[in-house]
Amino acid sequence: MKKILLVIMALSIGLFASVGEGDKALPFNLKSLSGKSYSMNSFKGKVVLLNLWASWCGGCKKEMPEFYKLQKSMGRNFKIVAVTIDKNSADAKSFLRSVNKKTHMRTPFVVLHNPSKSLARAYKAEGMPSSYLIDKKGIIRAVMIGSLNHNDIKELKKEIKKLK
Amino acid sequence: MKYTITIVTMLIFSGCSSKLVRVMPYEKENFAMIKMSLSPLAERSEQEGHILLIREASVGGDSSFQGGCGCR
Repeated sequence: MKKILLVIMALSIGLFASVGEGDKALPFNLKSLSGKSYSMNSFKGKVVLLNLWASWCGGCKKEMPEFYKLQKSMGRNFKIVAVTIDKNSADAKSFLRSVNKKTHMRTPFVVLHNPSKSLARAYKAEGMPSSYLIDKKGIIRAVMIGSLNHNDIKELKKEIKKLK
Repeated sequence: MKYTITIVTMLIFSGCSSKLVRVMPYEKENFAMIKMSLSPLAERSEQEGHILLIREASVGGDSSFQGGCGCR
């Protein structure tokens, strides 16, 4: 009977726990907005910032131009992987076009489309946007819930440099 | 029997857990639509406010802390 209780408790803990620092990054297989397939292995050996965002999310829209600058400044061993959970990819594309116009840049990172929201569900994302800093070995080193401002990005840069 | 009651209680309470019941942030796509806001049409709400003002012969009568009688 005790064993059953332990199993139930373990299951209930697993049900509530979200993915956190020290956990392995969850595998995925998604298509980019341009139709190319990517998995977590595509970014092996690189420091990755996995960003869950949507065009209907105000905070996500606010931080996106900062990510453009971040990717440009951090070079090749660092990749931002932006996963949009928009139902309609046209909404994400239209928003990114507006950011391109504003920043005078072309989207400098991979944008994956996940209309089923399976990745956000798997990560049990506590907020929108959610960002996960993943090291070269695929271990999550930082979890950032909510929109990142200029100062947060500064701190993030330090973390990325440590991991590179 | 004691254990069975404990397990059943745990299951019942986990079913009521806010984590299971609440709408997660990534599921709020429909809630974020403009038509879901309390006043989806800004111009229209302004007109409605104006009409209410004329009808009630009061300024600010539509707010929660004033009576709407015009006497303030």
